[in-house]
Amino acid sequence: MNAPEEKDPMDTLLHEQNAYVDDNGFTARVIAALPPRRYRAWLRPALLLGAAAIATALAIRWLTWESLPPLDLSALLSLDFQALTPWMSVLLVAASITWAVVAAVQWDD
Amino acid sequence: MTDADLIARVLSSEDQNAFAELVRRYQSPVRAFLARMTRGDTHLADDLAQETFVKAWRKLHTYRGSARFSTWLFGIAVNEFRSVARQRKDLALEEVEESQDGAAQPARESVSQLRLDLTESLKRLHSNERAAIVLCCQNGLTHEEAAQVLECPLGTVKTNVLRGKEKLKRWLAGYQDYERA
Repeated sequence: MNAPEEKDPMDTLLHEQNAYVDDNGFTARVIAALPPRRYRAWLRPALLLGAAAIATALAIRWLTWESLPPLDLSALLSLDFQALTPWMSVLLVAASITWAVVAAVQWDD
Repeated sequence: MTDADLIARVLSSEDQNAFAELVRRYQSPVRAFLARMTRGDTHLADDLAQETFVKAWRKLHTYRGSARFSTWLFGIAVNEFRSVARQRKDLALEEVEESQDGAAQPARESVSQLRLDLTESLKRLHSNERAAIVLCCQNGLTHEEAAQVLECPLGTVKTNVLRGKEKLKRWLAGYQDYERA
């Protein structure tokens, strides 16, 4: 508690001012408005994780790994887009999947 | 039955009766807090309080038990208020003009008048000061808990409480004996 201020008359006055608020049907209105809780808690992160898993499988299966040119530092430095485009596609797919996994893990409804 | 028991029942079996008991326990402080924050608009306060409890129901699995349940609830309530205050100018954070300092002239000996003036004075405070005072001085939260609820540094909460109380004392200075009220 905030001990140094407990003897302040203003604290006493403020505390006394804090009257109880009668329920008057408030609890019943809240309970009537409650949505199904479990559904929202796990469904959307599960969908995201599932989509990320499918995307990973498709990327492994369909990306033309054999035709990827070897990663060349000189191409990177000279911004040779023709050489870098296949790797940028791979990077884009990997970043999308990573984002989906992170979003699913950190999901806060 | 403790709060922790009720929360466990909600989480394990989606027990609405257990959640109703939690609402009954905390509806008064949450609604009173929001009524202060909305400058006495009890209809808006009740709407915000209802949304606070609905969000608590949805997010109960994220409550870790490291803070008191009431502290966690106040945190949701503050976010609800802030999201509405961003859209409504009448709930803006600014303090109401101080030009009426000492305006509480009549019936200065009356305790009931003092309480009315205190209510009005609370409405005039900057909302950050009002929130800190209502949480710490009316609801018994520690400064650390209030800092957690308001998502601001501990020093800011202490400053807002002190500054807010100084203003209240100045505005209510006409009541020379408010200590005995």
